[in-house]
Amino acid sequence: MKMPTLKSVTTEAKLLLIGIPVLLWTLIPVYHLFLFSISPKESAFAGKLWPDHPTLHNFEVVFGQKHYYLSHFWLQLWNSLLIAVTVGMLTLFVATCAAFAISRLKVKGGRTIMNLALFTYFIPAAFLAVPMYKTMGNYGLLNNQWALILAMVTIAAPYSIWVLKQASDKLPYELDEAARMDGATPLQLFRLVYLPLMMPSLVAIGTYALLLAWNEYLYAFLLLSNDRQITLSVALGNFLAADDSPWELLMTVGLIYALPPAAIYYAFKRYMVGGLTAGAVKA
Amino acid sequence: MASVSFHGIEKSFGTTKVIHGISFEIHDGEFMVLVGPSGCGKSTLLRMLAGLEEISSGTIAIDGKVVNDVESKDRDIAMVFQSYALYPHMTVGDNMAFSLKLRKADAKVTAERVANAAKILNLDPYLARFPRELSGGQRQRVAMGRAIVRDPKVFLFDEPLSNLDAKLRVAMRAEIKALHQRLKTTTVYVTHDQVEAMTMADRIVVMHDGRVEQIGEPLELYDRPDNLFVAQFIGSPAMNVVSGTVRRANGGAWVEAAGGVRWPLGHTAGADGQAVAYGVRPEHLSLGGGDAVPAEIIVVEPTGAETELLVQAGEAQIVLVTHGRPVVNPGDKIGLAVDPAMVHVFDQKTGARIAA
Repeated sequence: MKMPTLKSVTTEAKLLLIGIPVLLWTLIPVYHLFLFSISPKESAFAGKLWPDHPTLHNFEVVFGQKHYYLSHFWLQLWNSLLIAVTVGMLTLFVATCAAFAISRLKVKGGRTIMNLALFTYFIPAAFLAVPMYKTMGNYGLLNNQWALILAMVTIAAPYSIWVLKQASDKLPYELDEAARMDGATPLQLFRLVYLPLMMPSLVAIGTYALLLAWNEYLYAFLLLSNDRQITLSVALGNFLAADDSPWELLMTVGLIYALPPAAIYYAFKRYMVGGLTAGAVKA
Repeated sequence: MASVSFHGIEKSFGTTKVIHGISFEIHDGEFMVLVGPSGCGKSTLLRMLAGLEEISSGTIAIDGKVVNDVESKDRDIAMVFQSYALYPHMTVGDNMAFSLKLRKADAKVTAERVANAAKILNLDPYLARFPRELSGGQRQRVAMGRAIVRDPKVFLFDEPLSNLDAKLRVAMRAEIKALHQRLKTTTVYVTHDQVEAMTMADRIVVMHDGRVEQIGEPLELYDRPDNLFVAQFIGSPAMNVVSGTVRRANGGAWVEAAGGVRWPLGHTAGADGQAVAYGVRPEHLSLGGGDAVPAEIIVVEPTGAETELLVQAGEAQIVLVTHGRPVVNPGDKIGLAVDPAMVHVFDQKTGARIAA
């Protein structure tokens, strides 16, 4: 075995010095969340690394909707899911069509449109929240879940278009030409050649938009107010309205709310790896 | 099967004109090679025929029908791309069947045609594989198979062999040629490699800077190049060219080059005092006798069957190829015998051939 040189050891040490704090920084809040969720109410603030009497009682309360704040838990979870999935699908549809038109059909002015859309990111989404509220009011969509869906698609679309456009540019243009000569119409090209080859990027972007909507609080809070319409993230916020917030339940719901994104990420991780285009053209 | 005709074709990209009025005919069943250095417009011309580039001016007709405004898919032509452009997510069989599926051909007919093409190209064992699992030569054959199954009027090849290694290139060259002899489909083949052009073509179009320099059968171009460009482009090793002035005296004629070297002229081309480019192919020179051009050997390159010699004659460096293995060494003084009947003379200014 090769002896490690002093330089490689120092480099390694430096990386560890940065890495370990970052890891702890990330994991401690998650652990805290977990700790709260298995602690009884009275010992939640005991400050121990492991509770004296770990319990699943909190989960029982949450799943059974046995608390005032949790009376619509399942419905709100379903709202979150429905909105997130719809936002993911709609964003994918909009962004894929746009990227195909700009990158493959080379529609005139397409690049300008894309840059204009990206330009909207110069304005923080929080500043746009009030105008968006007003706009949705004008459309009569307030307190309608479509308001949140449309707002989230608006926020997710520019970045999605940009990423998909970059990915499209990497597909060899000769594939399009070959398909055109083989007799494909633009729609057939889109469906039979473009979509299958873009699959990894589509999954990545779909996941991005879905998670963005799942995690959204501000817009959901502004645009929805009815207890039966709101998402779980807004419901979580409502926990803090009272003086004696049930922290252990808040943390339990938070933990449950954090699980689907983690699951989705791990399920689709393999799609985020490229390599599908190998063999299309010369290496 | 079809003829193709180009008439007054021009092409501009923005303000840059890349093709300056090209007209020629390709006969039914002919194997036509477009050859020229990079940037001469040969690929652009092919892509216009394919319908992948707009035609700025002029007309292209297939079988007498002008196709300028016909979509590529309706021109009934098939193209093999330099990068193969195989669909990576489809198997070899699906790649070949794709065009027929788009045309909603009968499934049985499709399967039959794919099987037939696979048989011709020895691809039977690979039909279920994906392009990424194939070697370069096999991918090349799949690309050809995709063209064959359509049974088009015209095959287009855009530098199809340039991604292959030297040995495979020679093998595929023969395969494409054999394929053409078997199918007898009109073929337009673009390459920058004059050896490919010479070995495969029925006729060659030599292009340079967006213009046609000469059109003819391979040996015709080799034996009687119309101009200096064709003379130097066709043939390997390239033709030796020496600048000089025609001199006539006492019934004799020669070209006097820098350094006072006299190159013999057999025919009556060129007037006394005319500035010319004197061209002679390496194999028309030999180590020779009394009235030979004096030269000194610089490099000896034996290849086995023949020997290539680089020699200095006056200020010019000349290549000559001899069969056999002459006993010579660098530094030897020799005489170069020229076969005057095989000499080419071009006008120095225009580069045009001065007819004998």
